[in-house]
Amino acid sequence: MSHHYLRFEQVGYRYPDGHEALHDVSFELTHGEKAALVGANGAGKTTLLLHADGLLLPTTGQVVVGGIPITRRTLPTIRRTVGYLFQQPDDQLFMPTVEEDVAFGPANMGLDDAEIERRVAEALASVGATELRHRAPGRLSGGEKKRVAIATVLAMEPSILVMDEPTASLDPPARRQLFELIRTFRHTMLIATHDVELIRELCTRTLVLHRGTLVADGPTQEVLAAGEIG
Amino acid sequence: MRERLTRAIDRLEAAERTDRSPTLLHRLDGRSKLLVTLVYLIALLSVPLTQLSDTLLFAVYPLLTASIGGFRYGPILRRSLIVVPFVAFIGLFDIFQERETLFRIGPLAVSVGWTMFAVLLLRGLLSVQALLLLIDSTGYPRLCRSLQQLGVSEAFTTQLLFVHRYLCLLLRESIALSMAIDARSFGRRNYPLRIWGTLICQLLLRTFDRAERIGRAMTARGFTGRMPALPYTRTRWRTADTLYAVGWSAVIVGLRFVSPERLL
Repeated sequence: MSHHYLRFEQVGYRYPDGHEALHDVSFELTHGEKAALVGANGAGKTTLLLHADGLLLPTTGQVVVGGIPITRRTLPTIRRTVGYLFQQPDDQLFMPTVEEDVAFGPANMGLDDAEIERRVAEALASVGATELRHRAPGRLSGGEKKRVAIATVLAMEPSILVMDEPTASLDPPARRQLFELIRTFRHTMLIATHDVELIRELCTRTLVLHRGTLVADGPTQEVLAAGEIG
Repeated sequence: MRERLTRAIDRLEAAERTDRSPTLLHRLDGRSKLLVTLVYLIALLSVPLTQLSDTLLFAVYPLLTASIGGFRYGPILRRSLIVVPFVAFIGLFDIFQERETLFRIGPLAVSVGWTMFAVLLLRGLLSVQALLLLIDSTGYPRLCRSLQQLGVSEAFTTQLLFVHRYLCLLLRESIALSMAIDARSFGRRNYPLRIWGTLICQLLLRTFDRAERIGRAMTARGFTGRMPALPYTRTRWRTADTLYAVGWSAVIVGLRFVSPERLL
């Protein structure tokens, strides 16, 4: 069984204040698929992504990752399989130095020191941030923070990557650098974004969310041509 | 105001990253420094409040430790002054209660109360200096880890780490809020109490919101309430640590029982 697939089965979610953020959302991402999740602000994109990593559990329906339904009991397995990149790298980077931040996830997985160090070195190298390893995350530029945030996720060697607005608040060179980086990934990916260029260049499939309901799902070219975005 | 907040953040963050400095003091295991500091505080606090010269001898520890660790003593002394108002407030009562003369400096009669006041002040300053040197030379995460290794409960050390992080977060949000106020205040400095109340509420709400997002990011990377031991914060107890702990403890105990008055 592949760990790389992600399936939403009639997922609904209602926040404690009664607001229904997701309604009957169903889709499946298969091995290596790169999908964009688009929709206006408040459409429920972040809520949907939070479900993919079990950070929120659905009110109705279920989310299945690699054949394992997300429940409280399966969360440790899910967290090893799904890597979540948050919209604000400042929220994602909380340790005193970059290397400690990247090591945080592998250390929580109970790996030994040698394996943790190997993963930290590889993850930092893969995002071109080896020279930043002793720096304080708070002192990095926006683009550097984003790359380090990605390294923190990659160090856990997930099969599925979930990204929330990865290009938000990046300048054009940093954004281009990130494009090239994402292009090298072989993971199954779900990317919430407003960045049409990113969708066009990197995502073969696009899902459109409107007020918590999935209103379109298909090949990116067709969804773009149908004018479903915007 | 904003500069002071920024400096405070710098100091808090520096306390988290000081474990790579090349001096011997920085390389020592946090536990040995923690034990020495504990012995120092116990010895210092056990000196009777009327023994000014005995207490003065204890200044040797922060002075020497600062020198070994490559710290300038001036800034450490300046930072320790924060304790003065609190200690002075407690010591004031002694000045009025203990009026009998303890010794004379020429024509000047020094009362027991004034001596006790000076000793209290010294105790406060020296204790804070010892703690500052411990934190500055060890780094906050490593210090918490050392406490844990010495048997302090993990729940407590994790809380200590979180309080430290929350302080950083609170200061950052305070700076952001202060900038937002300045941008629209046109130089105005005084606001009614009601506005300050609203601002403080806003600040707390913002920090809670931010803390929740950070909490989610930690959970997403497998955090279950226990801070993991990282290879970079782990140290090994070596012979140098034993020598440091035993050597300094012997010196401190010696200081406690050597009275300069008897020697002279």
